[in-house]
Amino acid sequence: MFGLLTVSILGAGLAVVLAPRITTSALAMAFAFLNVAGMFVLLGAETVAAFQVLIYVGAITVLILYGVMFTPQQPRAYGLFFQGQTPWGALLAALVALPVVIVAFTFVDAGVALEPGNDLRPLGTSVFRDFAFPFEVASLLLLAAMIGAIALVRREREIEEPPGAPHDPQRRGPRR
Amino acid sequence: MVEGPFGIDPVLWAVLRLAIAIVLVIALIMNGALLLIYLERKMQAVMQDRIGPYHVGPFGLLQTFADAIKLIAKEDVRASQTDATFFIAAPALVFSPMLAAFVVVPFAPPIVGADLSIGLLYLTTLGAMGVLGIVIAGWASNNKYALMGGLRSAGQLISYEIPQILSLVTAVLVLGTLSMVEITELQPGPITNIFVLPLAFVTFFMAALAETNRTPFDLPEAESELVAGYLTEYSGMRWGTMLALTEYGNVTIVCAIMTTLWFGGWNGPGVEAFPILGILWFTLKTYAFILVFMWIRATLPRLRIDQLMSFCWKGLIPLTLLNLGVTAALLLAFPDTLVPVAIANWLLLGAFALGLPALQRRRLRRIRARLGAGAMPAPRSAS
Amino acid sequence: MTSAVPLGAFIAVSALLFFIGLGGVLVRRNAVVILMCVELMLNAANLAFVAFSRRFGLVDERGSVFVVFVFVVAAAEVAVGLAIILAAYRNRPTVDVDEIQRMKG
Repeated sequence: MFGLLTVSILGAGLAVVLAPRITTSALAMAFAFLNVAGMFVLLGAETVAAFQVLIYVGAITVLILYGVMFTPQQPRAYGLFFQGQTPWGALLAALVALPVVIVAFTFVDAGVALEPGNDLRPLGTSVFRDFAFPFEVASLLLLAAMIGAIALVRREREIEEPPGAPHDPQRRGPRR
Repeated sequence: MVEGPFGIDPVLWAVLRLAIAIVLVIALIMNGALLLIYLERKMQAVMQDRIGPYHVGPFGLLQTFADAIKLIAKEDVRASQTDATFFIAAPALVFSPMLAAFVVVPFAPPIVGADLSIGLLYLTTLGAMGVLGIVIAGWASNNKYALMGGLRSAGQLISYEIPQILSLVTAVLVLGTLSMVEITELQPGPITNIFVLPLAFVTFFMAALAETNRTPFDLPEAESELVAGYLTEYSGMRWGTMLALTEYGNVTIVCAIMTTLWFGGWNGPGVEAFPILGILWFTLKTYAFILVFMWIRATLPRLRIDQLMSFCWKGLIPLTLLNLGVTAALLLAFPDTLVPVAIANWLLLGAFALGLPALQRRRLRRIRARLGAGAMPAPRSAS
Repeated sequence: MTSAVPLGAFIAVSALLFFIGLGGVLVRRNAVVILMCVELMLNAANLAFVAFSRRFGLVDERGSVFVVFVFVVAAAEVAVGLAIILAAYRNRPTVDVDEIQRMKG
């Protein structure tokens, strides 16, 4: 099961980077999210897995698909999908990846694994007691992001109105 | 590996279990959806003073089966420029979360697919996954109407997830657990959760109407609007799956949630003695809600997309947030008793039910005043 | 079955996914694809957090708490990032990061 999930995750990741069509990349990303949620379930963190699917697959994938749909581009040759510095970028990533992955294999757990499931209550207690202040800051961050995103994509509407004109309900004013 | 009954080999038992599960799914859930389609047509017929299907089978019961056979036998028409993989995958993406949701629905004490400790969160998550399938369906059809319909529908679904989840959170605050089975066990007597949290029930009901694309929020799938929206290019069984089966499956799930959280689920007279009787009570309660859904569909007109969105963001979300805040504050102030929460909820519900028409009347009066006396005929007596 | 998989394997998967995402950010031209690869990197970090938290027996689930905050940040970042991309697309109809260099020079 772990092997299957690993292969799926890494395959989906490679598909995101290498796929010629952007919609394939988007769906491979969604598939990768689902598989990461599977990994969470394997580790026994069911609540986090549910949140992962809810937030990533349910919302972020839809956002990215909206972004894909609203920015259509002419189809180009496959080579033009990659930036000018592709060989150097890929080489750098691979070179740094190699020692990190080798070191990663040396981690051992303390042998005290939690039994799977039942992570909702400690998670909730931690978030709302020990981490209550970061929780509030996170909500402010979301508010700022929402306002910022709306402000960035607003279109300004023109109002040409000679002074003294009678009120016309069909006039297009700034969005109320 | 689980040892099978009669000492069957574990591997064989696993395969057998899978086969039994598939048969059960096809029999119960698909037939349930088909029965609901028939029920809908009969209900609408009764409300519209006609008879409805009565040719095929006794009382027309086999009508939906005949329709299903026709849909399966239809030619698989696909426009040439559509995105093949996604076009085929979209109905599956819309259908699978609905199927997966039946796992946690508690029909009777021994009959639950899996008693997840996060059952309610799981159902919410599956509702969120359905949106992805609809966006992909609209995109893959390579049709401007379908794309716009898909995006509108996705926007509606995402917007109404918020009041839905907030109502559920309010209920969970009072109940204290996310597991569907435990929630049912917490309401044994005749005083079920509806007496404590009526406003949460009403807001969840409205959000659920929108989430399942039912009238008055069925703009994405209405035939007269936008050439059937994201379903324009789908015909035959693809349409059948994506529209009919998924919608009625979702309606069943949502009514099951309402039954479990507010009306005691499988509880009813005689359940302690014969646990299997729980199925009867659960089904009766769920179908009562489904009939109310159909009743509303036959009665109310459709909302426009901007009316729908403004109702959600300017009406339901502040209301559910207020409800959540008041409930949380009262639960902290009076930790032992639920009576203050109940009183506050009923008061808020009354304010909502009486306040909304008053608000609309004021708005109407203001619009009329702005347009001037000659623009519109004088309002009738009771407005 | 969960304790049969060593912790190092989870961390290695997380590291590999992170570097695939990093390679994608460095290599791809389309701004939306770069955003997708950033999401992959965030997912890899989440996986590492949860793996450490569950395997070291932290009863108060601190790794998962951090993961919740990463969810929040990722969602906010995708929203604002897409808004920026759409606003830039409105100026010139391209999302090619090699071509959006008006501010240069």
